[in-house]
Amino acid sequence: MPTVRLRHADEYPAAAQKLFELSRAWFNHDFAEPPAMSRVMAWDPGFGGPHGRAMKRAMGPGEFSRGEKEMVAAVVSGVNACEY
Amino acid sequence: MTGDANWYEAAQVVGITNALNVAADGLGALGPIDEATAPPDVRALLDEIRAFYGGGEAPACFRLIAHDGAYAADVWEAARHAYADNRLARRFKEALAFAVSVTTRSASGASFHLAEMRRLGVGQRGVMEIVGVTQMFSSYTKIADTLQLDADMGDIAPADPTPAPGGPAR
Repeated sequence: MPTVRLRHADEYPAAAQKLFELSRAWFNHDFAEPPAMSRVMAWDPGFGGPHGRAMKRAMGPGEFSRGEKEMVAAVVSGVNACEY
Repeated sequence: MTGDANWYEAAQVVGITNALNVAADGLGALGPIDEATAPPDVRALLDEIRAFYGGGEAPACFRLIAHDGAYAADVWEAARHAYADNRLARRFKEALAFAVSVTTRSASGASFHLAEMRRLGVGQRGVMEIVGVTQMFSSYTKIADTLQLDADMGDIAPADPTPAPGGPAR
């Protein structure tokens, strides 16, 4: 059970709604509710904004494809024993 | 990256990388085998390993476990299979191994696989891409753990219906 009460998307301000739209586009998936991590990052835009930008810079296609980078991300998460 | 076969290959790279790093980082007290006095089969094994990695010295992890030649040969066979070009390219597998080594704080593994990435043609931009992904997802995972978030993205990828290699279709 999460340590905090995850707010529903409609409890966030308009600026966060835009972030949720970007999240939907990033994953190309129509979530019933934005992923928990998206809602966590939208809580404090002063942290979530630059953190999200750094993630998108790292994950964008370059010498390695987006798909390859998603696999690296999954491997790092697995090695960190993170089930999320 | 769709299809379970890719993920099985990635898991092999993760597992064997961790196993080799454990030896390289933890067995220093054992000391590497002395190749000059090693049995011929061990020297041949280390020659094969050297050739796979483009010459130079065989990686420390293999020189450390080569005190038991038969064991080292089996580990090497598994490692060679895991790192060789297959569905995933060797260049990308080295990037995975680098990410695993950085994440597990294996300085020797990170250094070795960084050198392998570069030897196989990954430029500074590519290296920094892997650094970025490794660092950012080391952050996301700890945020998720701290807040004890439940997994909620497991259904965005379809299941692979194909059978195990050589097995009958369901």
